[in-house]
Amino acid sequence: MSSATLSQERLTAQEILDQAASLRLQVGDFHEKLVEATYAEAADIADSVVTRPDRARRDSLDQRIDRLVTSRLWGFPLMVLLFAVVFWITISGANVPSSLLMDLLIGQLYPLLHAGADAINLPWWLSGLLIDGMYLATAWVVSVMLPPMAIFFPLFTLLEDFGYLPRVAFNLDNIFRKSGAHGKQALSMMMGFGCNAAAMVSTRVIDSPRERLIAMITNNFALCNGRWPTQILIATLFIGALAPPYLAGLVSALAVVSVAMLGVFLTFVVSWALSRTLLKGEVSAFSLELPPYRPPRIWQTIYTSLIDRTLFVLWRAIVFALPAGAVIWLVSNIHWGGDTLAVHLINLLNPLGLLIGLNGVILLAYVVAIPANEIVIPTILMLTVLTTGMTGVGDGAGVMFELDSTAATMDLFRAGGWTLLTGVNLMLFSLIHNPCSTTIYTMYKESGSRKWTAIAALLPLAMGFFVTFLVAQLWRLFV
Amino acid sequence: MSESTVIGIVGMALVALAIFLFWPRRGWLWRQRQSEEERQRIQVEDALKYLYFCELEQRRPTVAGIAGRMQVPENRAADIVGDLQTLGFATIGPEAIQLTGDGRTYALHIVRAHRLWERHLADETGYAEHEWHGRAEEAEHSMTPAEADALASRLRNPLLDPHGDPIPTATGEMVDERGGAVTVLAPGESGRITHLEDEPEGLYAQLVAEGFYPGMVVQMIDESPERVRVWADGNEQILAPLTASLISVTPLSESETHPIDGGITLADLTSAEAGRILSLSPRCRGVERRRFLDLGFVPGTEVIAEMISPSGEPTAYRVRDTLIALRKNQAGMINIERIPVLSD
Repeated sequence: MSSATLSQERLTAQEILDQAASLRLQVGDFHEKLVEATYAEAADIADSVVTRPDRARRDSLDQRIDRLVTSRLWGFPLMVLLFAVVFWITISGANVPSSLLMDLLIGQLYPLLHAGADAINLPWWLSGLLIDGMYLATAWVVSVMLPPMAIFFPLFTLLEDFGYLPRVAFNLDNIFRKSGAHGKQALSMMMGFGCNAAAMVSTRVIDSPRERLIAMITNNFALCNGRWPTQILIATLFIGALAPPYLAGLVSALAVVSVAMLGVFLTFVVSWALSRTLLKGEVSAFSLELPPYRPPRIWQTIYTSLIDRTLFVLWRAIVFALPAGAVIWLVSNIHWGGDTLAVHLINLLNPLGLLIGLNGVILLAYVVAIPANEIVIPTILMLTVLTTGMTGVGDGAGVMFELDSTAATMDLFRAGGWTLLTGVNLMLFSLIHNPCSTTIYTMYKESGSRKWTAIAALLPLAMGFFVTFLVAQLWRLFV
Repeated sequence: MSESTVIGIVGMALVALAIFLFWPRRGWLWRQRQSEEERQRIQVEDALKYLYFCELEQRRPTVAGIAGRMQVPENRAADIVGDLQTLGFATIGPEAIQLTGDGRTYALHIVRAHRLWERHLADETGYAEHEWHGRAEEAEHSMTPAEADALASRLRNPLLDPHGDPIPTATGEMVDERGGAVTVLAPGESGRITHLEDEPEGLYAQLVAEGFYPGMVVQMIDESPERVRVWADGNEQILAPLTASLISVTPLSESETHPIDGGITLADLTSAEAGRILSLSPRCRGVERRRFLDLGFVPGTEVIAEMISPSGEPTAYRVRDTLIALRKNQAGMINIERIPVLSD
């Protein structure tokens, strides 16, 4: 149809639409060609007007670093070494400030608060709820959580800022590809060893929707900072004790490392399964940019990682620790029919706990200490004293504590009826159970999806019950 | 455990069972009833589709054909045809079963829903290619015309589904771009694949696994009653005539014959080799295609394979002064020509 005929005839709206529709059928799907042409044109324009300064020298330095850190010979050893150093600095560096904070917040401020409460004649239940419950739980979380995070996050951010972390993803991508995941999941996993909640935020770097969900859901299998102390304590008490004294340290360290490795293994297995079942319909588009290296901006990095990561996570943990402290104190102090609520709950949970090789005390501790894995052991100790009616240990109903001597801790566990099976299964359950509420909430904020958040919370929990159940049954059969 | 506890537990279990069975709209009983009605509707719709395709391909529809296609016994198929007549979707004449106007409109809606859904699965989800057809077979029965329209406009009114089949418009029009079977090509002649028939599924899966896709250019080498040999993406492919009959092509005009897709892709470059991008394969769709363009993998751009991960994959490519790592299957979707490496 020529323009001459168009202008002479008066077409009705319907005729125009019909004509447009038939012309569209002739033209075909042109969107993609159009988009491609737009990009090609943009590239042409950029090439003709942008001049690039001489950058050959910097490039060759970048290339030299890249060849080294991604070389077949040095790539992996360098990576292992760097992360070992980061973890070593974190662990050894956190001990001192952690015990200082503990001493300040719990050793000094806590009795002071009690004295103050007595001075103004606060009723016992109110001071118990506020000081023994809410304050103590929060202080505990802060002093255990803050120092390692304040060291680990800035170190990690420095590596990120320098440009090294994308190379780690590049080196490891093939392993993750085989389990249907993204190489950058290596980074969120690494972050998960520090804190799962912060790792949820760090999955933002994965820009493919399916792989990001995989990284979020499986992150819980990276043993976080709050769970390492539990693993170490239980491994020392139960597994190290099996070996002759001169090997005890080595054996218990091996046990902890095996649990962490089991977590890594589960990450791959669950990623693989998720990408082939629940998540197979989610969009997946891999891409990995390797930015140029640049000198890290140290002060800026420390500042932003403290604000963005450390304080952010700490704040969320505090928000959840306050009510949890109240709940912990209340269940141990509210009496109902002669016994405390905690005792009733423990009796209720005991059959299930024993079935999976744990006990009611441990299960209740995991329920009430959901805000942070850091307070699980203190809660277990307190609840054990409460149920066994031991005297001379601990500070009273609802008041969390830890014992300085491992032997005393072991005595307490024995009084609670713990066996080697309890220890092994507690280590397993500590690795494989629902993430802490801070992590769950962060995942919800990050994914915006109730469904995937629920799966991230319940899948590991179900797996934890299954694994401990299996171990308990086999144990009872063969041991 | 005391007797009263046992009774309590049994009672609670019974209540739970009753809820599970008889809960309105969710319970087992309701689902059973509802799925019986739904099964009938789905069979009617599938029969309509069959009649429509017979009409399109000028075949004679038969009850046996319906039974074969839908895998039901013939007397069941006869019942379905009876239903079609009662509903006013088809007439049974002495010669043949014929669609009425209403029936044709209905059938077109089902075809439209099916192909739109396949387009959606291809462009907006991560489902693998072999799952599209089966999923669309289900989705087509639960989409209203209004929903189909909404989906179409969200997908920017596509004309073809990912297999190259035309998608009818809301008024039932569609492009006629079927072309002929691949065997219309004379030896040495090239054609662009317009369509891969997705049934039977086994043969279709085989074609996909061999790397055939709509939009691909193939060149006929020769054919005999036993086999058909074609060049596709730089490989010689030998197909059984039945398999080859699933491939529809339109012959390429002389001017289109170059540049031919295939030959080499980015995945063929080894360390420190360079290439210029010719095109992105049509297999690369949706988010992934946009991502490639965003990153600068645009036709005409020069690319250098800079380093390979120590674990074998991915490979990092230098594109427009940035380093981008791509996995092998991704790099295989970018067609290139080799160029000499520029010396520094």
